[in-house]
Order: sequence, then structure tokens, then C-alpha cells
Amino acid sequence: MTATTMMATTATAPASGEVAAPSGGVMRGTQPMHVRPRGARGATWALVALALVTLAGACSSETTSSSGGTTATTAVVSGRTIKVPADQPTVQKAVDAAQSGDLILISPGVYKEGVNVTTDNLTIRGVDRNTTILDGEFTQENGIRVLNANGVAIENLTARNYTGNGFFWTGVTGYRGSYLTTSRTGNYGIYAFDAYKGQFDHSYASGSPDAGFYIGECYRCDAVITDVISEYNGLGYSGTNSGGDLYIVNSTFRRNRAGIVPNSGSYEQCYPERETTIAGNLVYSNNQGDTPAIDVALLAMGNGILVAGGRDNLITHNRVFDHERTGIGLVPFPETDAVDNIPPESEMKTPCEETKKKPPTDKSQVKNPVYWPPLNNRVVDNVVEGSGMADLAVGAIDDGTIPASGNCFAGNTAGSTAPADLAAMLPCEGTGNGADPHNGALDLLALMASARPAKGDYKTQPEPPAQPNMPDASTAPARPAVDVPMKIDLSTITTPAAPAS
Amino acid sequence: MAAVRRLGRLVPLGAAAIAIVAIVAAGGCAASGATSPSAPATTGEVVPAVHRGPQGDGGQFVVKCGYSHSATDDPIVHPGMAGMSHRHDFFGNTATSSTSTAASLLGGDTTCNLRLDTAAYWAPSLIDHGTPVTPLGAVIYYRPAPGVDPSTLTPYPTGLMMLSGEPTATTPEPVEIAGWACGTSSDLRSQPPVCDPASPLQVRITFPDCWDGEHLDSPDHRAHLTRTQDGRCPASHPVVLPQLTVTIRYPISGAGHELELASGSTFGAHADFLNAWDEHELAEQVELCLHRSAVCSVASNRGQAAPIG
Repeated sequence: MTATTMMATTATAPASGEVAAPSGGVMRGTQPMHVRPRGARGATWALVALALVTLAGACSSETTSSSGGTTATTAVVSGRTIKVPADQPTVQKAVDAAQSGDLILISPGVYKEGVNVTTDNLTIRGVDRNTTILDGEFTQENGIRVLNANGVAIENLTARNYTGNGFFWTGVTGYRGSYLTTSRTGNYGIYAFDAYKGQFDHSYASGSPDAGFYIGECYRCDAVITDVISEYNGLGYSGTNSGGDLYIVNSTFRRNRAGIVPNSGSYEQCYPERETTIAGNLVYSNNQGDTPAIDVALLAMGNGILVAGGRDNLITHNRVFDHERTGIGLVPFPETDAVDNIPPESEMKTPCEETKKKPPTDKSQVKNPVYWPPLNNRVVDNVVEGSGMADLAVGAIDDGTIPASGNCFAGNTAGSTAPADLAAMLPCEGTGNGADPHNGALDLLALMASARPAKGDYKTQPEPPAQPNMPDASTAPARPAVDVPMKIDLSTITTPAAPAS
Repeated sequence: MAAVRRLGRLVPLGAAAIAIVAIVAAGGCAASGATSPSAPATTGEVVPAVHRGPQGDGGQFVVKCGYSHSATDDPIVHPGMAGMSHRHDFFGNTATSSTSTAASLLGGDTTCNLRLDTAAYWAPSLIDHGTPVTPLGAVIYYRPAPGVDPSTLTPYPTGLMMLSGEPTATTPEPVEIAGWACGTSSDLRSQPPVCDPASPLQVRITFPDCWDGEHLDSPDHRAHLTRTQDGRCPASHPVVLPQLTVTIRYPISGAGHELELASGSTFGAHADFLNAWDEHELAEQVELCLHRSAVCSVASNRGQAAPIG
């Protein structure tokens, strides 16, 4: 909510803070703000809360009964629906008028807006995913941005042509993006940063120079990405310094520069990337040389699943094929200008909120460059084929360190590996065979130095094809993101079949 | 470290790749804090507390602005007097000239990714062996200074003029105000260091964050502003502003450069800001991102060279 919109809206509301409820009764706005305190700003909250009290129910809204849903969602669902444009002319005005637990239902149309959400537990939904479109016209930064508001779910919408991101949650606990489509976004498609307990499902993202899907700076994240499609991005998935109950499952990453690329780095908080599970995905043909791209995407091009300096990840039951370089690769991520060193082993389980409180490391103590190594990653039961250099690979600045990296390979159906005989060198059970790690190792420095196709323009990437709608979009009750993420049972995840063609 | 040097030299991406490398200025700087005794003798300014360590802890918003143009103009120091200044590189508003005012800039075109940031940012051109260096771009951070209660921040008034750094300096100035660095390093220097190609040279200027609440400018272009100390503004300058940090990146790495600024010595790094943000947009960013302590954007350095299989 902005100062301007706050004033504009309060001007139309009764000064008493009491407004006529749809039933004809009087509704008093008393919804508290459920925000995660992040510092001394009580005065601001008081102001915002006051404004919300004034705004409560200021819209004309239609009451619908909420039925179904979990106990958790039922507890916060208000039963109120605000329709756009029938009740409020824009999505932002509907959001500004909404209270915790409301459903905002958007009719088909092109809405040229960038929407900010600061109210908890809203459900923002399009009536038709393919024709309910937020369009930033390459002037707005974000389609919908959720800032420190918990439990906000966004469903069945398209966001396109934003200079930043399609859908973005930050500083929240509880978030969900379902049946979303994004295209032609200057940064990320569907994006969570410093966000916990979330889920992205049944969504599609294309045309980002960075990642179509991104979950970063969280530990333990407690988040799930499932049943999504990511294509024509610099990276299909990326997540810097995220992990801990973080699942990327049953999804398709194809025709990006590179497929699934989590990484570590001290340039953002909560390093390193760790404990991400990548399972049951279809990952293919991530060699797309005409996508937009950040530099990491240029360098990562031609790899299916590439862990760049991450650790303790599980990569299992993925089908990975047709990559110019590696199918599944574990490589270091170097920082030439790091602001911190790699944390000690004893801090690997420390929550992000705790590590953030540590004072910055004195610059004289940082040993640049910092090479974030891939450690203790388990690559098991994947089917990998058609890789130009190696189906399975571990890279290191010093190849001799590979046997002690703790990474392991078992049960994979794969051809060539780098170094050679990788499964025998790094088994998940027992000790390795002592094979020479220099034999057939990737020459990372040479790979880095090779020319890659120039960056494409995110503004001219392909229009996405029509995507499936969520069931009963017009009639389903509000479902704020208080029951997420869904539970993932790894025992039920199998290697997906190859696509028909 | 031979491997590192080799690694750097082999990166072929060159200027094109580096050009979009977003720079993290999250680092911040030398050990001295707000009460450092090494306050600059020439300006009498307080040495600011600046951010150190990685981004993503407190609220911020970040604007990435391409290089726009260069001219011997300065709408703050030499208003209306075209060609009177040393050469400047301009970022943000594409029409900035000696006659620019907030009124003339508002609604104009911009090189910034936030299209409603039509403010003007400029700095003296960097000269190498007598030839101006075309900057790669600027990354501009809006944050509460360390120790500042973010809920107290007020947006810059439209038309506010700010100058930071000492243009005539010929000896070291506090690097927290104006420092040189390689890439995103927190190791700021008063003179340009020799940088690896993966982390090319940048200059980092941090602006005052306390305003007197009355004057958009002052005769010395400084007196209407000062800096927070221990997170507080003095009674003379009671309005707490976001701490603006402008980083300008240059395609300069390796040895053999002969660098100076158009204004003189590289000790005299400085930058200027004329606020012509869309007023509503700036207020919204300050409220949503800074008051709420939300990380609205980060300037990651994920562009930097990484050995990837």
C-alpha cells in the first residue's frame, strides 16, 4: 500500500472506520497485521495498521461462503470476495481494499499494473489463466510483489513484460503460486527470496535471463516446486544459498540455456546452498543459445542439472538427456571478490535467521578468491543420456580433490562420466576404487574460456502456449497459503517417461 | 596464485559479459565506523557507517542504470553554464545537462531498469592514458544506513541536490565516502587497485543521509546535508534519508593503466545526485521496501565468471 493510495482510499471511507458490510450490517475493521518483525519500526506498523482499520471493508464486495479446504485455511478465510473489475477497477485497488482472508477474483482482461501486496492471507486469482493477464509493458518492475505479508496465494494468472519479475514473494512465511504463467521478465519469472513455507505448482515460466523459477536465501526453506514447466530462460531453476526441506520435483526443465542450477555465494546471505532434493524431473535440451542470459547462464549453458558449489543435495529419479556438456554435473562456484569465507562445518545446520546475526567478516580475513566446492551430493537412480562431454561429472579446480569430496553416484543409468569410472570412484556405499581423478576430468578452465552464443533479448522471447486452468477457478473458495508446502513422499517419485516426440 | 591469474585471463567474455555483471556493493568497507577519527580534513564531513557483508539482511531497493552520456556540464555546481565543468559521465535521466532541474527531468527517459527513476546521477569521467573510459554502468543502492531505524526514513524531496566526495582532494579521503574496489569486494581503497578481469574496477560513493528539511541545495552544495552518526541525525539536520550508494563500474582490469579523473587525482572520486524520481514511485519504494525492511531487489554478482562444467 502506498501513501498515495492509502490517502485516496481513505478519503472515500467513512471517517469513523465503520463501513457498511455487504449484508447491510456494520463491520468494524480490526484485522491485525501479521507481519514478521524485522527491526524497529513499530511506528510504521501502527500507521499501516491504522490505515487498514480505516479501509476495512471499504469495497463493495460479494460474500461467498467458504467450504472445503483444510482446517488451517478455513480458520483464516474471511468469506469475502472482491471482484475485479466489478467491485474494484484494478487489481491494486482490490488488494488495497482487501483484508486478511479475502479472495480477489479477477475477470479476464489485460491489466497494465504492477501490484504490491502487504496484507496477509489473500488469495489472488484469475478467472482464466490464459486471458487474465497482468502486463508490465516493459515499464513496470513486478507483476505482483508480496512484501512481508504472510500466507498470500496467487493463482491462475499470467504476468508478462515486466522489467523485474512476474510474481515475487519476499520476507514472508507462507506463500503459494499455482497455475501461474510468466513470460518476458527481466529478472525472474516466479521468485521467492528470504521466504519460508512455500509452494510453486502447475506453473509455467519462460523468457527470463536469470531463472524461470527461483527460491533463494532461505535455510531451512521448507518449500516445494512441483508440476511446473520452465523453458527459454537463462536458467530453468536457480536458487542461491537456499535449501533445507526444499524439493524440486515432477517438473519439466527444457530448452533453457541450462536446466537446474542451484549455487552458493557470499554475495547474499545464508550461504552455502544445501539440502535441496531434485527428484523426478524431466530435464532435456538445455542448450538453447538464443535465450536471454545472465553471465552464470552463459557459463552454465549446455548442462542439465548443475550444482555450482552446493552441498548435501539429493538428485534422484530424474530423466536427463540431450545436453552439449553434462547431464548432471557437480562443480565449484568461485567468487573472486567474496565478502566472506566458507562457514565451518559446525554452522551447516544453523538457520538463516541466526547466521544473519553474525557480524560481517573483516575484509582482511577474507581469502579471495573463495571456491565454493560441491560436497556430499548424492546422485542416485537417474537416467542420463546424450551428453556431449559426460552424462555424470564432478569438476574441481584441483582434480585431485575429487575423491575426498563426499559426492557419490549410485544406481544411475548413464554413459560417459568425468572423471572416468565415476560411479566406482565415488560410490554411495563403501569406499571408492581409488581410480585416478585426473583421468578424463573436465577441464573447467578451458570450458569457462570457450565462446558461448550471445545473449538474447528477454523482450522478444516466444509467447507461451496456452496452459491448463486451475479447477473451478470461478467458484473454488479462497485458499490462502497457510497449508503449504504439500508433503513430498520420495518413495512415490519415479523417473518420468521420455516425452512422446 | 597462478591458477587464479590464469583463470582470469582465460575468461573470454570480455566487456560484453562484464557489462551486465551486476555489482554488489554490499561490502562496504574499512574498519572505521561512524565515529572514526579519520574524518576528512577538507570537508569536515562525518565519516559514514556503511554496509558490510552480503546483501539480503535489511531492506533495500536497487536500481541498475546504464551509462547515458558525457558532457562538461554540472547542473548543481555550474547550473546553466554549459561546458563550464570538468567532463562528467551521466547515468539515469538521459537529458541531463547544465540547465537541468527536477522539473525538466521529471517524466523524461532514463537508462535505469526502474523506469520511474528519472533522477540524474553523475560522476567525473575516468581517464586512462588520457582517454575517457566508457563506464559499464551504475548500480545504485537505497538502504537505511547501518544503525538507522528504517521506519524513520523520509524520501528525498523532489529537486534535492547532493554531492559526495571531495573533487579537489590530492591525498587520501575516507573510503567510506568515496572508495575504489575490485568488483564487489569490501576492500575499498583511496586509489584504484589492480583488478582481476572477473572483478573489474568500480568506484563506490556513499551520500549523506541527514537533511536540514528546508533547502534543496546550499551555496557549497553540502551544508544542507550531513550524515548519521550512530544511526541518528543531528538536530541541525533532523530529516533521516535513505543512504544512497552509487557504484560505477569500469572495464578496467590488469596492470598498465594510467588512471586519473576528469576532475584531477583519483583521490578526488565524487558523485552527484539530483532527485527527479517520480515522486509517487519513490515514496512507494521507501515505504514498501525500506520501512518494511523488505529486500525488494538485490544486485547479485551471479554474472561473474564461474567454472562450470
